[in-house]
Amino acid sequence: MVSRDKTMPAEPKEARAPGIVWPVVISLGAVMLAGVFAGYHDAAVEAGRTPPAPWVGPLIAAAVGLGGLALYFRRHASWFRALSPRQRRYWSALGLSGIIGGIIGGWMVLDQETGRGAADLFGSGALSPNFAVGASLLWAGGLAAGMILYHRAIDDHEERAWLWAGLAGWYAFIFPAPIWWALHRAALVPPVDVMPLFLFSLLVNGAVYLWLKFR
Amino acid sequence: MTIGWKSRVNNQLKVLRAMRNWSQAELAQRLDVSRQAVNAIETGKYDPSLPLAFKLARLFGMPIEEIFDDGFKGQDDAC
Repeated sequence: MVSRDKTMPAEPKEARAPGIVWPVVISLGAVMLAGVFAGYHDAAVEAGRTPPAPWVGPLIAAAVGLGGLALYFRRHASWFRALSPRQRRYWSALGLSGIIGGIIGGWMVLDQETGRGAADLFGSGALSPNFAVGASLLWAGGLAAGMILYHRAIDDHEERAWLWAGLAGWYAFIFPAPIWWALHRAALVPPVDVMPLFLFSLLVNGAVYLWLKFR
Repeated sequence: MTIGWKSRVNNQLKVLRAMRNWSQAELAQRLDVSRQAVNAIETGKYDPSLPLAFKLARLFGMPIEEIFDDGFKGQDDAC
């Protein structure tokens, strides 16, 4: 029988990682709450009543969501405290990205003139200048901050997955884009549309990253 | 340069880990890497960087070449 090596450092704590279900439920709940407020706002307008200010609903929903997440983190505080600095940076980067993504997504849905459903996230309808500028700033600032944290937190294995995924995503752009452009100039296909190219590149990037990280 | 998806370097990580009765998660925690990284090294899907290889060598108290084996047997294999 092989004995346990006694020369090793202190035993790492085997604390169980908190589930991801609650943050997802809290986030979805906050988005749904914002949707309820949006529906109430529209119903009030249609009924000829004075609607509440449009920012009230999202603000309450955001407060409820952040409150819920704060309770979740408090409940699992010991687990988060036991994380190494690298792991803390990792989860901070993911959390920051999730919060910024949620804010942009929720704001976009509320900003649409019609529909106000999840499908609006992928639509190409007109956006208000306020949202366009705000979301662009959030995207640029959030992505920069998230990436700095993320790249300081990932290990070699994930960095390799990230780099290969980035290269694959780039190839997924440079292969089809000139072909589409050339075919369009010969009037064989519609004009080049950046969104399908962007989404294809993103899809390939994500697929390669997940494959290399989790296979 | 190894850029492929399968490592050409064999390693003893799984055996060394089993000898100490550590789980992949436990070893990952000691190395401050993800469990997926440990699994990928063990299954030959990923070759660790030199700093991580040194970290492993220090953790197991062995030279790197006793943990990793690239199949090099001597002068005849050089070309």
